[in-house]
Amino acid sequence: MDFVAYLKESFTGSMSSVLTMGAIIIPLMVVMEILKDTKVLERFSSKLNPIAKFFNISNESIFPLLIGIIFGLAYGAGIIIDSTEEGNLSKRDLYVLVIFLLACHAIFEDTLIFAAVGANLWLIFIIRLIVAIIISYFAARIIDKRQLVEED
Amino acid sequence: MRLSQFIKRVITLYKESAVRGFQKGIRTLWGLAKIVIPVYFIVTFLGYTPILDIVSGLFEPVMNIVGLPGEASLSLVLGNVVNIYAGVGAMATMALTGKQATILAIMLSFSHSLLLESAVANKAGVGLGLVVFIRVGLALLSGIVLNIIL
Repeated sequence: MDFVAYLKESFTGSMSSVLTMGAIIIPLMVVMEILKDTKVLERFSSKLNPIAKFFNISNESIFPLLIGIIFGLAYGAGIIIDSTEEGNLSKRDLYVLVIFLLACHAIFEDTLIFAAVGANLWLIFIIRLIVAIIISYFAARIIDKRQLVEED
Repeated sequence: MRLSQFIKRVITLYKESAVRGFQKGIRTLWGLAKIVIPVYFIVTFLGYTPILDIVSGLFEPVMNIVGLPGEASLSLVLGNVVNIYAGVGAMATMALTGKQATILAIMLSFSHSLLLESAVANKAGVGLGLVVFIRVGLALLSGIVLNIIL
């Protein structure tokens, strides 16, 4: 094999991938950090009570949900665990939140990185969001049914 | 107010946040580069050996169900065992069509970093078996469905 050609191919290929990702990630992190500090999400959360109603979860669940969708699973789970310890979230809330976030977290970061290597940005974005809504909705229904059975 | 002026105003108002975000971006990029670059070198190297062809041939029938070439199995395995960046690094070495790249991306976005992220979800109170079942199940199902409709 041509070792020089191999090194050249690997070097230019990997560098251009990393640079494309950098061009996406750095501005995104700046925007997300500002978003965090403006406390816009806290205020926005209270306007999203219809979402809480749809899943039949507490209004307090909306903020950790938004955080997880935007900033990622680790960060979202941290806030979910904190809220649970403070007693703001029920076991049911917790389940619905975690199942939603399993299908859909760090949505901007992951989606944009995949777009950098050729995937369709909007399809990934929309499919993740819709699938997350569907499975957490059904998870909520299943939990309710089980609880009814237990009460009988 | 023009968009550029608006951006300038936000950045002056939230200068510290912007700086912190920039540092975070560099850190994330560094963490990503540390994985994407070696993976890229290794997968490209495998491409010069018969190994990649053998593995591809082995997985070709299974991968065809989700409309992907056999070599894409490498990206799925790396993405799930190491992390999403390793999957992306392997993906970058492959000449995929738009449809294939989208299918692989969606499968990986439902199921990646299985070891680490499932532990996180487990810590937040959902059973490990259920977590892995949901993630891998969603990845397979979405791959099969997207291969048919796209």
